[in-house]
Amino acid sequence: MKKAITPYLFVGPHLILFIVFILLPTIYGIYASFTQWNLMNDPQWVGLANYKTILFDTESTFHTQFLNGLKNTLLFVLLSVPLLIVLPLMAAVALQHKYVRAKGLMQSILYVPGLISISAAALIWLLIFNKQLGVTNNIFGSEAAWQATQPYAWIIIIVMTIWGGLGGNLIIYRASLAGVARDLYEAAEIDGAGSYRKFFSITLPSINFPLIYTFVMTTAGAFNVFGQPLMMTDGGPRQSTHVLMMYIRSLAFGHGESIAGMASAMAVLLGIVILIISALQYYVMNRSAR
Amino acid sequence: MTLTKGFSFSKYIAYAFLIILCLLWVLPVIFGISTSFRSQTEVVSTGFRLFPEAFVLENYSTILSNTSTAPIMRWLMNSVVIAVSHTLLVVLVISLTGYGYSRMKFKGRDALFFTLLGISFFPNVVNLIPSYKIIDMLGWVNTAWAMIIPGLAGMGNLFLVRQFMLGVPQEFDESARVDGANDFRIYVSIILPLMKPILIVCGLFSFVGSWNDFLWPVIVYTDVDKMPVTAGLLLLQDIYGNYRMIGQLVGSAILAMIPTLLLFAFAQKYFIQSINLNSGIKG
Repeated sequence: MKKAITPYLFVGPHLILFIVFILLPTIYGIYASFTQWNLMNDPQWVGLANYKTILFDTESTFHTQFLNGLKNTLLFVLLSVPLLIVLPLMAAVALQHKYVRAKGLMQSILYVPGLISISAAALIWLLIFNKQLGVTNNIFGSEAAWQATQPYAWIIIIVMTIWGGLGGNLIIYRASLAGVARDLYEAAEIDGAGSYRKFFSITLPSINFPLIYTFVMTTAGAFNVFGQPLMMTDGGPRQSTHVLMMYIRSLAFGHGESIAGMASAMAVLLGIVILIISALQYYVMNRSAR
Repeated sequence: MTLTKGFSFSKYIAYAFLIILCLLWVLPVIFGISTSFRSQTEVVSTGFRLFPEAFVLENYSTILSNTSTAPIMRWLMNSVVIAVSHTLLVVLVISLTGYGYSRMKFKGRDALFFTLLGISFFPNVVNLIPSYKIIDMLGWVNTAWAMIIPGLAGMGNLFLVRQFMLGVPQEFDESARVDGANDFRIYVSIILPLMKPILIVCGLFSFVGSWNDFLWPVIVYTDVDKMPVTAGLLLLQDIYGNYRMIGQLVGSAILAMIPTLLLFAFAQKYFIQSINLNSGIKG
């Protein structure tokens, strides 16, 4: 009898936490998307009304907010993800070079910004792009008010994101590259293969799984973008960097009465987009790798 | 072949790329630190400079003496309490639970584990709003509990611990069991020491993740005295307004990044090598 209970003493506490803080809120989040809810009173069931408004009611501000937020979020994903894959991969390959010294130091320098919070990093980047005092305008003579003009507003958001995000993928690629068998390269050299040939025929196929993993995870993370635009541009100029998470947050937790049902429907739609894109990426990359 | 290796051209391309990248990565931080030691008048009159003309501490004394609208020491203390308690509890929970899912025998163990893992892949933007409601019902809004407890439910670290333990031979705990040791004894004296490397890595990443979390604290804290420093920094742009007090703004950011950078300085190898413990990703 005693034996039957002990395993649950070990896994039970976490199971309770999981149910309370992941399972229940997820189910409730889906349920709430079919309701009118102000976070205080009981939600009122409204069926598909929220989704109809968000997706099809061109008169509604929720519709325009959702479309604008989704467009800006997608733009952020398209701008940031390729750079967050290619730049760390290039850095990892360069660090792999047998004659390059101070690898550890350079790797640490590239990794450290990932340990800095978005809000602290943003204050420093805002200083750099500041119109009167910053580096960009003083040294490079740029006249732009970076935060308030496009495309500069997007550029500062992306620059800050790449700066903070490169290190994480870098160490994954570094570890993977170290695992690629030496004799493959040696055999290719004997056959007269050049650097590019070696990279595309040996390196890339060998790190296929880490590439898929980082691509899927980086993309899913990018869809949740929130802190960088909030801190750097506050969604401006004219809402052109206002991402979906910012709308979801201000609808549910902003000033005035909470519109949590509508916000939940937007959250579910964003969740569905993330799921579909992740599945597609995994499917396509896994397939082309074989 | 051997002749060309001497002045390998690719070496210089690799160096040039890495050095430019490293400069771009490190200069913002240096520029931030140096600006925090420049006086307000110097910044406004001379504009950009990499190093201060006169080295002053006035920005930091101003920041530290503001205990009402932007109590940064208080925010830092809140962050320390949150991140340290969260980290210790993460280590406790994932070691106990990881032992359960990797070593103990009970019906449906693996099915349960993979069901939880599958559910946890569901994008967590969906549970954000109800999570707030639960925190509110528990009376945890504007308390440290709001940031210490919910993250313990995650599956990521647990997955890593389970993977790690699957690679550790069972001989040690089996022989202790034959000798009549019970599960708690095995957990404390055998499993915990075996798990040490993975627990250190998960602990470090939990600390950094908790310290740097931004979206969640922005939602659950409205009380200026209770919030962690990441959420506090969001308020600063209004308080030290529009870059007339740029030294204070940047100085606050520098103070907020010291703890995680210190942690990195002391535990660098765990951060960098963490990925080797996670052979699933390395491929």
